[in-house]
Amino acid sequence: MRISRWTIVGLLLGFTLIPLVFMVTTSLKSPIEIRISGSLLPAEGIFWVNWERAFRNVPLPNYLLNSLIVGVISTVMTLLIATPVSYAFVRFQAGGRFLPSWILGTYIAPPIVISVPVFMLMRSIGLVDRPLGLALVHMVANLPVATWMLMDFMRVVPAEIEEAAQMDGASHWGVLLRIVTPLILPGLVATAIICLILSWNEFLFALILTYSLRSQTFPIGISEFQGEHGLQFGEISAAALTGILPVYLLAMFFQRYLIHGLTRGGIK
Amino acid sequence: MVLPAILTLLFFSLYPLIYSLALSLSDSQLARPFRAFVAFKNYSDAIADALFRGSIGLTLIYAFGVTAIETVIGFGLALLLNLESGASRFARTLGLLPFITPPVAIAAIWRLIYDPSSGLLNHYLVRAGILEQNVAFLGIPGLAMVSVMLVDIWQWTPFVFLLSLAVLASLPHEPYEAAAVDGASPWQQFIHITLPLCLPGILIIAILRLIGAMKVFDLVFMLTFGGPGSSTQVSSFYIYKVAFQQFKTGYASAMTVILIIVLTILVTLLIGLYRRVQQRYGP
Repeated sequence: MRISRWTIVGLLLGFTLIPLVFMVTTSLKSPIEIRISGSLLPAEGIFWVNWERAFRNVPLPNYLLNSLIVGVISTVMTLLIATPVSYAFVRFQAGGRFLPSWILGTYIAPPIVISVPVFMLMRSIGLVDRPLGLALVHMVANLPVATWMLMDFMRVVPAEIEEAAQMDGASHWGVLLRIVTPLILPGLVATAIICLILSWNEFLFALILTYSLRSQTFPIGISEFQGEHGLQFGEISAAALTGILPVYLLAMFFQRYLIHGLTRGGIK
Repeated sequence: MVLPAILTLLFFSLYPLIYSLALSLSDSQLARPFRAFVAFKNYSDAIADALFRGSIGLTLIYAFGVTAIETVIGFGLALLLNLESGASRFARTLGLLPFITPPVAIAAIWRLIYDPSSGLLNHYLVRAGILEQNVAFLGIPGLAMVSVMLVDIWQWTPFVFLLSLAVLASLPHEPYEAAAVDGASPWQQFIHITLPLCLPGILIIAILRLIGAMKVFDLVFMLTFGGPGSSTQVSSFYIYKVAFQQFKTGYASAMTVILIIVLTILVTLLIGLYRRVQQRYGP
């Protein structure tokens, strides 16, 4: 019983890790070895040529910078809207039962459903192929998730503290800014990280709304790789790892917030 | 006080819906919307379109398939690792990685894993004698779908695992103490206590995964581009092709409206199911 349990766990951990390990080893194999052998570990020694070529052939830093700009702008906008909205939903029952469920309900729709109207809107206001345009769309896409998560964190804040502050003459905004926000700071951090990662990874809207290096993000960069240079798997692996690394670092630093936020928001 | 924020939210959720409805009733191209009013022609075309009906079928197969497997494995793994130990903490950290990895990067590496000539899977399966010769995992209808689903399972089972751990952590102690006094076996405890108490939570996780899996686009775009033939052409991908490669936005909008209706019915049914389970087994 004991042995079989660890066998199962070991197998599943292997299943999880092998693709990631394979990505690392592929990026370090020689291009010839990649073409002839699918072994997990490099047999002919370690080569850095894939990394050099990945950065030389494709403007990776450019894609990553665009991703960062879009991610930061969209996350800030999402939090600026979702924080007061979730506060109003939780504390004043704004919109009754209908509005919160409507907002959460929009999460059900696949992104493709709003792609045409979003494209038309962005074109008419001249934000196609602009980081700001993509950031706006990511904000809209992430609002339900952010509102959902923040509502959950707001529920825990005791109303008495806020009432006490209001007695002392603080306005609603004052209470939100000076009392509630500091109290739910871990929740805000968790929400911000999840919004950042969602924006960083998002593909469909980036595909539709960006055409040039002015706004193309990292996922588009990876998909371009496949088109232009045939399938240079070593380079693709190196490039993909470059874009994965920031996400993993972020997750490592904020692991506790992230797991906390995910499990709270997910279950309730 | 929050009126502006709420109005923004409403605008962004209502505008696409109204705009899609209007587009769906018109003959529209991407460059020239609203050329003529055609009433429900786009809808009758969509319903008659075998590719569209097929894409909805594939989406449902994909979503229900991966959800069932991810839920069973994820919850099972949580049961096995539901103790505070080094292994459990390690699994928890590791479990975060797959679903925060950019799907495009995931697809890129899985393409190499599946590669017919130099892929990892062929390399080891042939060596182990399981396969006689290399197989084009993404090139055979049916098998291609299973291969794409496997990547989804890789990516999202850890998510189900992490959420299942949270469900297990919220279980009360008393029933187990009572069962131990009565001499119930671990299996009896699992069937009569753990499973019923976990059911509402697990169902919510499964619904979340189902909603997520219905959105699949990136993996299909990167791994198979809908092929071979149309054997992995899920709805999101088909609508993308019609709208942004064939530029038939009116037609695509009618399909999105139908897709929304199908999804709404499905999710309403599932939430009804959840309510009944909650009433029966919930606190």
